[in-house]
Amino acid sequence: MKCIFKNKKISAIVAVVPKEEYRFDDEYPVFKLTEDKAKRFKKMMSLDRHRIAPPDVCASDLCQYGLQQLLNAGALKKEEIGALLFVSQTPDYFMPPTSNVIQGKLGLGHDMVCLDINQGCTGFLLGFMQACLLLEIAALPKVVLLCGDTCSKQMDRCNRISYPLTGDAGSVTVIERCERESPIYMDVKNDGSRHKAIMIPAGAFRMPATPETLKLREVEEGVVQNLQHIHMDGPAIFNFTMGDVPPQVEEVLAFSGDTRDSIAHFLFHQPNPFILKQMADKMQIPQAKLPNNIVSLYGNCSSVTVPLNIALNCGEPLRRETRRVCLSAFGVGLTWISAVMDLGPLGVCKVVDYERT
Amino acid sequence: MDKIIFYEQLAKILDLEEVKPENVLIDFEAWDSLSVLSVLAMADAKYGASIKAEEIRSVVTAADLADLVASKQK
Repeated sequence: MKCIFKNKKISAIVAVVPKEEYRFDDEYPVFKLTEDKAKRFKKMMSLDRHRIAPPDVCASDLCQYGLQQLLNAGALKKEEIGALLFVSQTPDYFMPPTSNVIQGKLGLGHDMVCLDINQGCTGFLLGFMQACLLLEIAALPKVVLLCGDTCSKQMDRCNRISYPLTGDAGSVTVIERCERESPIYMDVKNDGSRHKAIMIPAGAFRMPATPETLKLREVEEGVVQNLQHIHMDGPAIFNFTMGDVPPQVEEVLAFSGDTRDSIAHFLFHQPNPFILKQMADKMQIPQAKLPNNIVSLYGNCSSVTVPLNIALNCGEPLRRETRRVCLSAFGVGLTWISAVMDLGPLGVCKVVDYERT
Repeated sequence: MDKIIFYEQLAKILDLEEVKPENVLIDFEAWDSLSVLSVLAMADAKYGASIKAEEIRSVVTAADLADLVASKQK
């Protein structure tokens, strides 16, 4: 579905990561890998390190910290927050919405929208779309989009396929109206017939949690999981990322009238460096324009991967000037969303470590 | 499709000297989800072949795999 949003801009991005960093070289004995297999895995997936939140730290804590930073710095005022969006698949509770919990903790006003969005990898772009729609409300000054996930808690620490590639993180993005038209071109696609490719089978209401659903099973050597963990169908995901995403990127480039040359940066979601490199080669996008370092440095952080990618790899130029970017995210749903837009200059665009307060 | 080249590429993925058509894939120590991903990537990049999840799970020998990729080759 093609969308155009006008007179909307992102004015700040803060990505928040746990301080706790773990290196693959230290962790791999837990995965029951021989040194050779570990080397092969490390090389193929360009693994190095990732950030994992302590057990008592939730995605909302990471997001709230980032938001508090913006408020403390005077980059945002509480009364400007007309809507608080919380995008996550690791909320604090099933009930109430975590956006309400954060609203309460920060002492925000009552005259506002609080909305939780259940999404993963495409969460930033879906949340951004929602923010643009909310800004049609004249009385709504700014939207604060929080994306956060602690996916490391949805897998076994000994699961060599998932755990080393996963990271925990949160992000805060401020979206507001602007004078310039600056159209944002977006395409949104969904295919629920393939929903089993990325799923947690038990723990909600289709298959409630029981002692059975917590029993660990070894699906292949060194890959243990229970029914309340994330299950990924590797081949199905590979075919999805290689088959469906490149055509959508082409579509959105044609839609906005852009080419590979007119786009300064292709800032994509990063499932793992191997798949992303295959995609980049297939789409003939030069490596210099498509950063592929998030998993190696932080792990795949679900919806935060895109804003973290933006802040880490383009933070400096985006604080100074405007760049034309192509954003793309794909994952659980299955959902895939791509967009072309002008980004920057941003008042704030950075990555910070979480500090307990 | 030149199957000799295919078996050479498969051997490389599995970190082996040689792969024979009659070899049973699950007998290879290196035949795991990583190798499957590498094979899918190779099939796509080198042969323009898109292999479905259930298809790759149903092959038994290296020859079966070669036939599968060849049948999907563009």
